[in-house]
Amino acid sequence: MATQQFDGGVPFAVASSAQKLQLLELPADVAALLDAPNPPRLSIKSSAAANDRPAYAVLCTPTQTFHLRQVQTSNSLFVTQPRHLDAHGNDMPLPATCAIASCPATLELHPSDASAVALLHEVLPVYDVVAGDVDARGNGTSKDHIFENLPLSDVQCQHGWNELMAFELDEHTYRPSVNALAQVWKSINAAALAEGVQLDSQFLTEDIATAVADDGHPASFTKAVLRHLSNDEQDASGPWSCLDRARTVAFVGKTLLEAKQGSSDFLIADFTDTWEDRLPEGWRKDAKLTAIEGSYEFPTDTTIRAKSKDAAVANVQDAAAATKPSARKWHEKFAKTRKK
Amino acid sequence: MPSIPLHPPSRPTPSGVENPLPPLLHTPTGLALLEIQGTIHFPPPTASATSTRVGKLVFPLYNPALHGEGDAKWMKRVYLYVGENQRMVGECKKLGKAFAVIRRREGGGDGSLEGDVTMAEGEGTQRAKEGEELEIVEVVRHKLVFSGRPEPVGGGTEER
Repeated sequence: MATQQFDGGVPFAVASSAQKLQLLELPADVAALLDAPNPPRLSIKSSAAANDRPAYAVLCTPTQTFHLRQVQTSNSLFVTQPRHLDAHGNDMPLPATCAIASCPATLELHPSDASAVALLHEVLPVYDVVAGDVDARGNGTSKDHIFENLPLSDVQCQHGWNELMAFELDEHTYRPSVNALAQVWKSINAAALAEGVQLDSQFLTEDIATAVADDGHPASFTKAVLRHLSNDEQDASGPWSCLDRARTVAFVGKTLLEAKQGSSDFLIADFTDTWEDRLPEGWRKDAKLTAIEGSYEFPTDTTIRAKSKDAAVANVQDAAAATKPSARKWHEKFAKTRKK
Repeated sequence: MPSIPLHPPSRPTPSGVENPLPPLLHTPTGLALLEIQGTIHFPPPTASATSTRVGKLVFPLYNPALHGEGDAKWMKRVYLYVGENQRMVGECKKLGKAFAVIRRREGGGDGSLEGDVTMAEGEGTQRAKEGEELEIVEVVRHKLVFSGRPEPVGGGTEER
């Protein structure tokens, strides 16, 4: 070792004025995202501090969300950059490695499991229709503003938004109540019949929305419901809709069942009759209990009601309950198909 | 609170200084990571100096002429000489997870550029107005780590 000459050494210097740099540990998939030819813009979002939770920051890729956690290190961690050292006298300037910043803490990313459905459920006011009258208190907040304050990526926000069939109306945003959903579906079905529209083939969304508006349901609400029920091949931003038959049949059945929650027991025969009546003529035979498997129960031999767990999930009050795997199987099922 | 954009690395502008480190440690902007278990104490810099030379890095096993450019054995041993007679032994490590070096974006000069970016649905108007913007300057995948305690070496070996 003594024979080792140090002319191969690289001068190491520390800059007088440190730059402010942060180090962020990148999970493999985020690093891969940044390596791609056109890396997307990431964003750092934060949730507003609620009374029982402190605010926290998340990092969002277009589709994923990560919690940011600061990790302190007792070591000196420098970011270095090649730099010419100040030459003394007539020395040649030497290329050196110069520490330009010191990072006492680094940031780690941890995948966030927050549910957009639960968070939106919490922030959006309910749009209810009681005896033909709209019962809704606006929040004066746009969808963009809501998304911006939701600690989730845009895709996740949009997914939750679609899932809840939330909509914008006159500078307010709402999520519809089960009751409102049952009503608007009734109007959609009636409008389709009147206009001669096959709901499971392509039709102009606007046509139905306009016809349904005569019953007092805002077009944005109708469109949100149609988008939710559309099959996955349909481009959601286009002017056309084409409903997924199985999804729609299940939606109508469950909505009906949940809308009855709290009232007197629902006779099974009455339920299936009403369900059939609420469907387009050609779909009546689809109204079988197997279509909504797992989301109903029989309190007695002749009555039916929405599974109580279902109702609990429907009225998510605390985020903790929402992070549990949803009992609404069709949510999960569609979530999976959508992620593809 | 609005969302703060974190821009991906833009096309690097070479600093114009030749990077003296082994090519494995090279990044487009020249940034690298160096970790020391401990602190370097050095006299305060003179007013005119932009940096203080505290020592040097030596890669004793690095010899591309002999072992070829692809040789990775040199990574096992790196010396950091601090001052006249202290040496730390370390190594070059590949990071399990890459580190993004992030800084606050300077000025609003890039504002016009933003308009050209095609934005996804619902994203168009949510940009923070005149807010803080961050950017990833570089993604670094290796670091030099000196985890041992400094050992004394003869003062005579320093070239000065």
